[in-house]
Amino acid sequence: MNAVLAIALKDLVLLVRDRANAFFTFVFPILLAIFFGVIFRGSGDGGGKLTIALVDEDNSKSSALLATDIRGDKALDVVVESGEPARPLSRDEGLALVRRGKADASVIIPKGFGEGVGDFMAGGQMKLEGVVPPGRSAEAGLLTGKLNELAFRQMTRGFGDPDEMKQNVNAARKSLAAATGVSPLQKVAFEAMLSSVQNMSETSRRQNDEAAARGEARAADPMAPWRPVDVSITEVKAEREGPTNSFEISFPQGVVWGLMGCVTAFGLSLANERSRGTLMRLTTAPISRQQIILGKALSCFTACVLVQVLLLTTAIVFFSVKVANWPMMIVAVMLSSLGFVGVMMAMAGLSRTEGGGSGMGRAVILILAMIGGGTIPLFFLPPFMQTLSSISPFKWATLAFEGALWRGFTAADMMLPGAVLLGFCVGGFAIGVYAMRWTTRA
Amino acid sequence: MRVGGVEVGVEVGVEVGAGTGGAGRVPYSRMLSLVDLRKSFGPLLAVDGLSLEVHRGEVFGLLGPNGAGKSTTIGMAVGLITPDSGRVTVNGAGRPTDAEVRRHIGVAPQSLALYDDLSGEENVRFFGRIFGLSGEQLRRRCDAVLDLVGLLPRKKDWVKGYSGGMKRRLNFAVALIHDPPMLLLDEPTAGVDPQSRNNILDLVRTLAQQGKTIVYTTHYMEEASRLCTRVGIMDQGRLLALGTVPELVASKGGKSVVVVSREGAEDELIESDDPVREIARVLGNGAGAGDREVRVERPDLESVFLSLTGRSLRD
Repeated sequence: MNAVLAIALKDLVLLVRDRANAFFTFVFPILLAIFFGVIFRGSGDGGGKLTIALVDEDNSKSSALLATDIRGDKALDVVVESGEPARPLSRDEGLALVRRGKADASVIIPKGFGEGVGDFMAGGQMKLEGVVPPGRSAEAGLLTGKLNELAFRQMTRGFGDPDEMKQNVNAARKSLAAATGVSPLQKVAFEAMLSSVQNMSETSRRQNDEAAARGEARAADPMAPWRPVDVSITEVKAEREGPTNSFEISFPQGVVWGLMGCVTAFGLSLANERSRGTLMRLTTAPISRQQIILGKALSCFTACVLVQVLLLTTAIVFFSVKVANWPMMIVAVMLSSLGFVGVMMAMAGLSRTEGGGSGMGRAVILILAMIGGGTIPLFFLPPFMQTLSSISPFKWATLAFEGALWRGFTAADMMLPGAVLLGFCVGGFAIGVYAMRWTTRA
Repeated sequence: MRVGGVEVGVEVGVEVGAGTGGAGRVPYSRMLSLVDLRKSFGPLLAVDGLSLEVHRGEVFGLLGPNGAGKSTTIGMAVGLITPDSGRVTVNGAGRPTDAEVRRHIGVAPQSLALYDDLSGEENVRFFGRIFGLSGEQLRRRCDAVLDLVGLLPRKKDWVKGYSGGMKRRLNFAVALIHDPPMLLLDEPTAGVDPQSRNNILDLVRTLAQQGKTIVYTTHYMEEASRLCTRVGIMDQGRLLALGTVPELVASKGGKSVVVVSREGAEDELIESDDPVREIARVLGNGAGAGDREVRVERPDLESVFLSLTGRSLRD
């Protein structure tokens, strides 16, 4: 056992010290998972913020307040300045940002926006302009809703400021007086309504002033409690029928590449030992071939487990990936590792020379990885490719990993990928050991 | 008789030592016995009916040109290559494929069988663990062998930073880590600079003085002459001659040659059993002695090989 551990430990040290192998086994899969995760995020999981180029052409008190609200919204990333030194975005600059894909949309607060806020009781309208790229209807809808919400906040501010309310009411009275299509009776009724609104606003200020005199806190916005629609949001744990985070797709892909790194690194190690002459030393030592093979298998298994744990930890800590079923995840990691030890053994046994093994092994493994979900997620593949991918151990490892991550696999669901991976393990071992009988002795 | 836990043959005789490794008449018992070994690789007959015995405590040289079958013979001696026919016994009775017998053999292969990304110490420790050493014993053996080959101060350096000579010495150290009574050194000085070569030859002498049995393959005849108690000369898979260097030179090397050179004339070659007398005769032979150069070419292993095969060792 000491010899098996010594071989395994030595191989792991050699893997880590070979910078290229260490990079492709441990670092590259993480970079790839992050890369694909970021790409997939843009196509649909809604986890990201909307980037807005905000152009204020009005430069009024109201437009400044709206801009502040937009910038403060957690769902939006807002760009308001450009150039060096920084200056407010112009309309053209905002559009250019959208054209270049630097912003999902541009929002323009046009001239006259502030007057619209004042005129809303006199039939006026607040006007905002939005620009989105073609075909981005989801973003357009989201933006419209978000801007309505923020614009309505400007109106509630108007109600909360008695001076502004007085101006608005007076403007409405003037407009009412000049209106020709309104009957005298209706004018009286509107006048009564406007007086009531003004009275309510002044009463609110008076109450605030009295409260301040008593040393009580003054409400910053007297109308704040007023909400025309009460929307309550509750979080509920969804039944997971698919990944909720793009990284839940990309990190299983990263696992594929990590396992590929392990298989190629260890699969060639026997050919390396042969060309170095160290295999001769090992085979003339008082240990059996089985011990040499077990040492190689143990080191590969350990590396496979390590790379999966590393990827999983990175995904959980930095990319909010949640594991749906931890016991199944442990099973998936173990089964994948065993399956790929088998693949490595077959490759090691069949690779007589370092160069030949490297070329043949990498080509075969690369193709298997690609059709097994290494480059395109399995569920994006067309049906015939999904069928073809069944010959790839990478498909089954990905399936097991995704099963534990977000597919909600039960033990029964895990049986099929588990059995296939164990099959690869046993079959690969048999091929490897048989082939090594010929490659480790003349 | 048991040596190192293995039953050995008790055939004891007397062998005449020669070369600096020899120490005159020494008692011997068989350490390695190869009987009628044959090995083919496809159509190539690499070893053809080779039989020889290596005695305990001797430095045995296996001499021959590249492709003579030396490395294949070593491979069969250590159980790495399975002979097509014939028998290998180590320490009188054991087969080299037996784990316990392998503990008695240290191999320094011709290729540098080392891990470049491990330090010198890590290489030695790894193979020590493979041979079953551990703990304090392993640490002591590591330091001892690294000290012996002069690499103790550089033991923490990665092998990829070593010079060719240092790698050769480390290759040697790894073979010694389990303190085997027999060492098989396959071309241990191949591709090293003269200084490292001398270090390695000194090392072999030191080990021989410690009583190790050493099988030394080389195609450098002067190394074999300097080190070996006995030599076997191989060519095309066959053992052509076996004996001490003086015996072989005397029996197969032919006579000394007195070479007389004259300016503007072809050299005159005079074979003689007594070159001193022949020189005296040439120099005392009348006028014109001043324009002649006379030298003696004594037979050596190269001459032996030439007489046995009709071609040079370096061909």
